[in-house]
Amino acid sequence: MIEKKQQIFNKLGLHARAAAKLSHLANMFSADIYLIFNEDKVNAKSLLGILTLAASVGNEIILQAAGADEKEAIQAIGDLFDRKFDEEI
Amino acid sequence: MIKSVIITHGSLGRELVQVAEKILEQKLDIEVIAFDWQGDGSAMIRQLEAFIARQAGHKVVIFTDMFGGSPSNVSTRFIGPNVEVISGINLPGLLKFFCCDEPNGAFRQMVKKVEQEAKNGINIISEYLGEKK
Repeated sequence: MIEKKQQIFNKLGLHARAAAKLSHLANMFSADIYLIFNEDKVNAKSLLGILTLAASVGNEIILQAAGADEKEAIQAIGDLFDRKFDEEI
Repeated sequence: MIKSVIITHGSLGRELVQVAEKILEQKLDIEVIAFDWQGDGSAMIRQLEAFIARQAGHKVVIFTDMFGGSPSNVSTRFIGPNVEVISGINLPGLLKFFCCDEPNGAFRQMVKKVEQEAKNGINIISEYLGEKK
């Protein structure tokens, strides 16, 4: 199991479209993937679970993955956050 | 395979589907039927009958906007082993249905999950945040 601290850079935070992209990406990996924020832990493969975090720009969350492709999953998801979910130029 | 139709007063269903398509960035495979305020509902019934007839061999979920409303009432006659109606559908419920969140389980189980997610989507936010804190 590996973890990574990840800051949210996009202005709108983990809103609906970002959550959809994130869950879609997470579903491409076999590893169990979670987001942890303010003592809440949600399945990164669940769009609606991600929305319940109500995480905003500037917040720091923890990405957690466990499974055969955990490293690749954390890398890809971290990249998506770093790219601001491809929402901003 | 599970097929779906949304049947609502006016264009509510079409708008819900369009918003869900924007969020999920994909075209959704769902039939949209609008209850024409001016009519007597016969067009809506014909459309729904035709849709159900085309779904032989498939399970069908009918989403309606409000329990007790005309779209919901005309839908209940189709309830059976292969057809279920979920009334009061909202965006969280619709997203749950179309999300690849969870593997497709049994029909009944899937319908319950969508119902639960739609209900979970209604919150007095101050209370919800209070509970979280």
